[in-house]
Amino acid sequence: MSNLVRAELVKIRTTSTWWIMTLIYLPLWGITLAFNWLQTDALTRTRLDDVPAEQSEAVGAVAQPDALAANLYTNGQFFGLLMVMLLGIVVVTGEFFHQTVTTTFLTTPRRSAVVLAKLAATACLALIFWLVTTSANLLAGPAVLEVVGVSAQWGSAVWEAVVLNGLAYLLWAFFGVGLGTLIRSQLGATVTGILLYLGGTIGALTVLVMAANRFGDWINNLQLLVPSLASALMTTGVDIPGEPPRWAGAAVLIGYGLLSGLIGILIMRRRDVS
Amino acid sequence: MTDGRSSPNTTGEIVVSRLTKIYGNARAVNDLSFRVEPGRVTGFLGPNGAGKTTTLRMLLNLVTPTAGQATIGGRRYADLTDPVRHVGAVLEASSAHKGRTGINHLRVICTAAGLPRSRADEVLTQVGLAPAAQRKFKGYSLGMKQRLGIAAAMLGDPRVLILDEPANGLDPEGIRWMRGFLKSLAAEGRTVLVSSHLLSEMQLLADDVVIIAAGRLIRQGPVDRVIGSMAQTARVRVRSPQAETLRAALEQQSATVDVDDQGALLVRGVDAPTIGRVALAASVELHELATERPDLEGVFLELTAGKAGIR
Ligand SMILES: Nc1ncnc2c1ncn2[C@@H]1O[C@H](COP(=O)(O)OP(=O)(O)OP(=O)(O)O)[C@@H](O)[C@H]1O
Ligand SMILES: [Mg+2]
Repeated sequence: MSNLVRAELVKIRTTSTWWIMTLIYLPLWGITLAFNWLQTDALTRTRLDDVPAEQSEAVGAVAQPDALAANLYTNGQFFGLLMVMLLGIVVVTGEFFHQTVTTTFLTTPRRSAVVLAKLAATACLALIFWLVTTSANLLAGPAVLEVVGVSAQWGSAVWEAVVLNGLAYLLWAFFGVGLGTLIRSQLGATVTGILLYLGGTIGALTVLVMAANRFGDWINNLQLLVPSLASALMTTGVDIPGEPPRWAGAAVLIGYGLLSGLIGILIMRRRDVS
Repeated sequence: MTDGRSSPNTTGEIVVSRLTKIYGNARAVNDLSFRVEPGRVTGFLGPNGAGKTTTLRMLLNLVTPTAGQATIGGRRYADLTDPVRHVGAVLEASSAHKGRTGINHLRVICTAAGLPRSRADEVLTQVGLAPAAQRKFKGYSLGMKQRLGIAAAMLGDPRVLILDEPANGLDPEGIRWMRGFLKSLAAEGRTVLVSSHLLSEMQLLADDVVIIAAGRLIRQGPVDRVIGSMAQTARVRVRSPQAETLRAALEQQSATVDVDDQGALLVRGVDAPTIGRVALAASVELHELATERPDLEGVFLELTAGKAGIR
């Protein structure tokens, strides 16, 4: 099995996908940092009296120093998760696109093992993405906090957010692999993945906000079912009043991650390679 | 000949039994059974769409049979503990990543199969591709791709080789190289199963043939026997300035004689020495006396007549 994981890593290393993704990701990380800087700045200036009464509790929660720090230390998540998901997609669909799947299955007829190795290799890559991003964030984040006049926070809540962020990277990599097995066309899977991620987030938020206005706040709990919202919730660093607890977001994501891995294995085992 | 042939060697035997694959409502392979013996090159022949590729892919666990099974050395491919060390397969010429170098393509396989990375360099040299080792696959010519595929198949030094139209894209030099290569592998006692359309090439290469059409077995056996079974009557081509005299003399020997468009006699029913003797007795001058043996191509076309065609 370790041979297979190493082979998958060699495959990734010997093609250009990973550094293209990295090149795309770098400026995006910078942009989100700038955005989070502005947001942090705005939140520290907000006086709770200015905020409509029904939102003041929630805004108060995200304006806590712990929440501000957690947000900065998990900076880049929005695009980082997208990148690792796309990597997961390419790791699978690339095999069909380049017809290397024939060679792969000839070398290893145990197809479940191949999918597991792909999950493991993509997970390694996702964790590297997370590690590098987090290192950069731990340098940039305290600097931003200092500029806006909040002392850097190193409490357990902050570390919790950082670790859960790592979990999110891992799970999105798994979604990518699962999606790649479901939709074997590289273009199809990539477009679907991006739509689910971006469109899903924005679309679901819009729908949920409208529904919550109409049917009551309990609807907000449904955002848990939207993977990207669940992962955002998971890494807020503090529990926000009126929203589901963070662990629930984590549980839902783990569920999705396992499910996509499992579906991936089942599909690959049956598929004819011709 | 070699140890591989004299000692009973069943570990490399390929057995296809009652294999069927249905796509939609088309029977790509239809109740197909045959055996492939170690120590010999077996040609797998059939018109386009006959089901050769589908059969080979079922043999290699890439396509699931609708019914029947295929084994290599008594085991299904999926059940082999170390497939790369048992079986080498060359399927299509393009199953490598376009952006990966040839050597890295082989190293991936080495890593997955637990082979030393040095094997990658060795097989590249073996197929004459060492100078292009560091070049990306997209920069390879068709023949180079084919050679890389053969290199990949040789990584585990397997005792069974399965190749789907490996001559595709090879230049005459490459084809001759491959012929020698495959023959030498068979001479070492390995099993070599190779599909092809190039019948003249097959006649030079194969010891046995398996001919299929429309998913069904048409004929199987040693090349000579398959050819012999079809056209027992070899034809002799004779040219002579006194063709009419000779013709009359031959017909007295109960030979059948036709005349081709260039005026040469095409004689059946008697062999060349007899014709020579008849000519001498009749004092007829001979300018050409050539026995035309039926070839694999003729036999193949005759056997698959009416069964060919894309389904
Ligand atoms: N994935 C598939 N889906 C549907 N039909 C298929 C599929 N693969 C093969 N077929 C059909 O099965 C039949 C056999 O195809 P196959 O590729 O095995 O033929 P072949 O003998 O290798 O032909 P060729 O000499 O052209 O390579 C053809 O009629 C083909 O259309
Ligand atoms: Mg074919």
